[in-house]
Amino acid sequence: MASQQHVLLSPAELAYLHDSLSLTPPLRPDGRSPTQYRPLSAETGILPGTNGSARICFADGTEAIVGVKAEVEKTRRKWDDDTIYDENKEETREEAEGAEGSSDWVELTVEIPGFRDDDSSTVFLAAMLSEALLADGGFVRRLVINRRFHWKVYLDILLISPPLSYPLPLLSLTTHLALLSTRLPRLKSEGDEDPFFDDDWAAAPYLYPRSSNKKVLARPPVTLLVMAVGNNIIFDPAKEELAVADVALAVSVGDVSSSSSSSSSEGEEDVDMTAEEQEGRKLRLLSIRTVDPPSRLTPPGVPNATNSAYGHAQVGEGGKTKQQMPEARAAESEAVEGVWKPPRGGAKALVMAALVQKTLQRGGVADEVFDALEGVDLG
Amino acid sequence: MASLKRSLDADPLAANISNKIYVRSTKSGKVQKIVREVYLRQDIPCSSKLCQKCLALAPSDAAGRPIPFVLSDAPAGTKVFPQGHYLVPDTNAFLTAMDLFEQESAFYDVIVLQIVLEELRNRSLPLYNRLISLTKSEDKRFYVFFNEFRLETHVPRQEGESVNDRNDRAVRKAVSWYSDHLARVKGKTVPAVVMLSNDRDNVRKAKQEGLNASSLADYVKQLKDGEKLLDMIPETEDRDMIKEKKPGDNLYPEYFSMSKMMTGVKSGLLHQGIFNVSPYNYLEGSIRVPAFPKSLLILGRENINRAVDGDLVVVEVLPKDQWKEPSTQVIEEDAITKNENPDAEDSEDFVSEKERKALQEEVKRTQSKTTEGHPQPTARVVGVIKRNWRQYVGHIDQSSVSQSGQQGRKQDTVFVIPMDKKIPKIRLRTRQVAELLGKRILVTIDAWERSSRHPVGHFVRSLGELETKAAETEALLLEYDVQYRPFPKTVLDCLPKEGHDWKVPASMDDPGWKDRQDLRDLLICSIDPIGCQDIDDALHSRPLPNGNFEVGVHIADVSHFVKPNNAMDMEASIRGTTVYLVDKRIDMLPMLLGTDLCSLKPYVERYAFSVIWEMTPDADVVGSKFTKSVIKSREAFSYEQAQLRVDDESQQDDLTKSIRTLLALSKKLKQKRLDAGALSLSSPEVKVQMESETSDPIDVKTKELLDTMSLVEEFMLLANTSVARRIYEAFPQTAILRRHGAPPKTNFDELANQLKVKRGLDLSVESSRALADSLDRCVDPKEPFFNTLVRIMATRCMMSAEYFCSGTQAYPEFRHYGLASEIYTHFTSPIRRYADLMAHRQLAAAIEYEAVHPSVRSRGRLEAVCKNINVRHRNAQLAGRASIAYYVGQALRGKATEEDGFVMKIFSNGFVVLVPRFGIESLIRLRDLAETEPQATFDAETYTLETSGSREIKVELFQKVRVRVTDQKDETTGKRGVKMELVSTY
Repeated sequence: MASQQHVLLSPAELAYLHDSLSLTPPLRPDGRSPTQYRPLSAETGILPGTNGSARICFADGTEAIVGVKAEVEKTRRKWDDDTIYDENKEETREEAEGAEGSSDWVELTVEIPGFRDDDSSTVFLAAMLSEALLADGGFVRRLVINRRFHWKVYLDILLISPPLSYPLPLLSLTTHLALLSTRLPRLKSEGDEDPFFDDDWAAAPYLYPRSSNKKVLARPPVTLLVMAVGNNIIFDPAKEELAVADVALAVSVGDVSSSSSSSSSEGEEDVDMTAEEQEGRKLRLLSIRTVDPPSRLTPPGVPNATNSAYGHAQVGEGGKTKQQMPEARAAESEAVEGVWKPPRGGAKALVMAALVQKTLQRGGVADEVFDALEGVDLG
Repeated sequence: MASLKRSLDADPLAANISNKIYVRSTKSGKVQKIVREVYLRQDIPCSSKLCQKCLALAPSDAAGRPIPFVLSDAPAGTKVFPQGHYLVPDTNAFLTAMDLFEQESAFYDVIVLQIVLEELRNRSLPLYNRLISLTKSEDKRFYVFFNEFRLETHVPRQEGESVNDRNDRAVRKAVSWYSDHLARVKGKTVPAVVMLSNDRDNVRKAKQEGLNASSLADYVKQLKDGEKLLDMIPETEDRDMIKEKKPGDNLYPEYFSMSKMMTGVKSGLLHQGIFNVSPYNYLEGSIRVPAFPKSLLILGRENINRAVDGDLVVVEVLPKDQWKEPSTQVIEEDAITKNENPDAEDSEDFVSEKERKALQEEVKRTQSKTTEGHPQPTARVVGVIKRNWRQYVGHIDQSSVSQSGQQGRKQDTVFVIPMDKKIPKIRLRTRQVAELLGKRILVTIDAWERSSRHPVGHFVRSLGELETKAAETEALLLEYDVQYRPFPKTVLDCLPKEGHDWKVPASMDDPGWKDRQDLRDLLICSIDPIGCQDIDDALHSRPLPNGNFEVGVHIADVSHFVKPNNAMDMEASIRGTTVYLVDKRIDMLPMLLGTDLCSLKPYVERYAFSVIWEMTPDADVVGSKFTKSVIKSREAFSYEQAQLRVDDESQQDDLTKSIRTLLALSKKLKQKRLDAGALSLSSPEVKVQMESETSDPIDVKTKELLDTMSLVEEFMLLANTSVARRIYEAFPQTAILRRHGAPPKTNFDELANQLKVKRGLDLSVESSRALADSLDRCVDPKEPFFNTLVRIMATRCMMSAEYFCSGTQAYPEFRHYGLASEIYTHFTSPIRRYADLMAHRQLAAAIEYEAVHPSVRSRGRLEAVCKNINVRHRNAQLAGRASIAYYVGQALRGKATEEDGFVMKIFSNGFVVLVPRFGIESLIRLRDLAETEPQATFDAETYTLETSGSREIKVELFQKVRVRVTDQKDETTGKRGVKMELVSTY
């Protein structure tokens, strides 16, 4: 997929950018380190009518709003499940918890100004974001009310600025914060009865439970945008950087340590946090997707060897032209120093391995991102 | 990045904006988060007449006059607040003691906070409505203060604060604001602002904050006749404390949670319906649920589980081995639980010995049956969706009063026996036992806890001595929820200014004459019962040149005087119908209209709504016409007078001739109706003769049937049917009609079986025609009354007719079963029935006399009106019958007569006898037959009861018996009723 509109850079500029990003350490146009994110500001709870909402502004001016709405929905029974609901059978909480969620409990729409909602880029963005959410099933399991009912969650993701850079990381982070601030009305009924809720909003629990000292016990996954230039791996690329990427990847990472503990700690909120902190996060890679970088569509530079202006391939010298043409092609496919050539092919296995390691290692990028997100005041 | 949230610092008006967030669950199961912005203001007045400051910014009405302030400038004082005081009750105060606030001796100048009002509405709609009517009454001076919208009294919820705590804080805040606000008034003594609450914690906090606060009990003690009022405060708080101390004493099973019940009802495993108690057996209830064709039985205290007659409950069907037959035994609560002690009830067994015994006998009987008795499905109550408790009339059970209670002013616990036998005894704590003994009193039920055998209630007011006419009549009206208070001023303001001097305008140019036909030259007369003052209808007939007849029915044009949606219309729609008691009439419309301006009195011109037909001599309708008119009735006959005149051959004037024509036509109409399958049903009707001066009843007479009665009836039926067709044609969705559903076949099962077994008669119930024919065949040559008896019993198997809005039913459902008419409505008595008034308006719109008023067209409103008038209609009938029953009892007082009666229902320990002469029925128990109760064998298959031992008789169903009728004061219900003793069997 073409990740964004064309960048208005000449082949020479592209070649320069590519070269500087290929250096060790790479030199990024905005002076960031390869793993550094752009500064951002965030707030949650901006839309009072929603169950949860968040807004993030990147320093480059891109801005997104996410609203979460939840509705009670009847769970479709499995085809082989013909037990009639029996209100006398006491259902334990664990049994209800064990119920499987389904991916159609989440409806996620992305809106990007200037793009139709059925535009392939929009649809692809939505697919990537929901894939990350659904990847480990931990999210939909939270939506189970009882065996007969569940919450259906509508995520409305809006980019409200023009898409100055590929908005995937922005949208993912905003969604993450919106989900963290999401609250669902408190259930009053028991077992498999028709759900009946407390009308007091202040009593509504968070979808991702928090401890008594307001610490979030579990977190939804985030999707990071990573690109590789040569052997360098660069996180959160800006628009210009993406224009010269050899390969661009969307990497979804979940915080497993918390999600596994969350189900047990839902009842008693006071979990001994220190133990977990010492241990650090258990990160898990949920998915990797290649994103078609815009660099593929950039116009190639022409090496002097094939440039007629330098008197190389004169046209009109009879039969020679025909023979020279394949040569010229060969020259085109070969990399010439200082001449821009759109990248071809996929990601190298080596790069992939390095990328996964860089992302997941303790103190790695994902860790940092989660740390940063923890700093956001969730209100 | 600037935050998108509303920043409170930047906006200078930010303090005026607040919000309210809550979760709303809709009926369809949606759950929504609702955020409401609240805009706070400072121009909401305190409404105290002392305050000058608020007067300046008080809102004014459309005419620019300021709305008058409510709270008095010199409110009453108490012992503690001699300077006068305003009351600020919290929600609980209203919830527990609404009756107190309705007192006339105290509780004036009350500030009702918005937060309290809203909370009350959520908790109890009936109480909310009572409070609203209090705020509307001018003399009680209740003022609704919108504390949530006033800047100074708005209280934002704090973090971690419960809703209740916040609301309590809001009440305290309002109290403190009022105190401060009033303190600024110069020069006058400022009344104290007193918070009333039954929540001790709230009172304590208020006192800490330096506010005047008091619990209900403490406050009432400061009042002058506080002792009496104290009875009206349910001592819930103290009782809660006691109860907590000893758990495990619960007598009744716990109710299911609301969501569990709803899920069960939805999945079809539980059933929801209205709980009805059998009038013969207080331990047997039944519930009709949509899932089954027949009612489910609910037997025994435990299964009834605190449900009271009329409650909307959820039941669970019991396993098949617990299915039973409906009881064949009469069980009366007072007989079985006679010597209970209201104080020390907890020590007793839940199911008393006697009750258990009665149950065992029941079981024996069921098992002794060799033939396949059909056990009926039984159920138990698992929860109550909605209580339908009202105020009950009753009296204190003498036997439950302890010795000490009769003297001192000590609080005592007694039982109140409600007049309605279906309502259980109510436990009442009162300090006025000595005063209340022997009086009719009004009580309400407060609660029925699991640990309490009987519901707990409190005293509301006394109606007067038992068996005084005033007390008994009021009791009756209260029991049947008849609105009997005088019409309020707002209603009387809607009457024509001219009063009794109103006349049909002389000039034909007057707007009153617009589109009215002048029928003053027709020979119109009215025929009604003797002494009728509200004459709804008048008739005329005249021959036409073509040999046909013109027949006119003229109905009082009430809709000319009662315009839609004014106060009078509202009042009439609530009353629904005029209620006729033996000695009293409770009017639907003010007297001026009912007995004068609308009434089609003779010799004066009146507005009317006329239905005029052209009829062949065979009584076929050739054409019909509807018009508003002006008529002048020539004579107002009584049925008897009219009959005499018709029978008197010497009378040959035109008026008499026209009545004869009407009579002849009516007979043909009746025959046609009967051919179509109309039923002639029967109910025992009697008339009580009163002594004219003291209006004491002196004699009871059965009503005579005269031809002239059926004359009027036939033409009214015809008019109603014609009008029904016309308004249905004009308003297919919203016409107000009356239907009478075909009774389910099963209703007749028992009667058909009884007839078959006892008399070998077949009752066919396929159609009304078949039923009418088979009822005609039910004759006993030796006993002319037998046919009437069967008709009376058949009538009781019928459904009751009901008003409905045509859009709510399919056309075939419109059918009136009893009249065998496809479509029917009520049009002919607008003075005494609201449905007729609506039909008048619709007909007027249909003939384009006037524009369609929105209230006549709105289906929702019409449905609500229909629902109400159906209830009112039924209550009015019941009240009328109860009134007759009371007066029959009074007329028989001190006399003893022997009369013939018929056995119409038979139990294993008694039987019910109907005495046609008095139109009364009464139960004769086995133990009434002789000094020592005779042994008896009851054969349910053949409906025979044979006694042996002290007295040997054999009683069968339908049997004619000789009974001695005396009056007897029923010690338990306090009603004077008839008592029958069996003299002999025929």
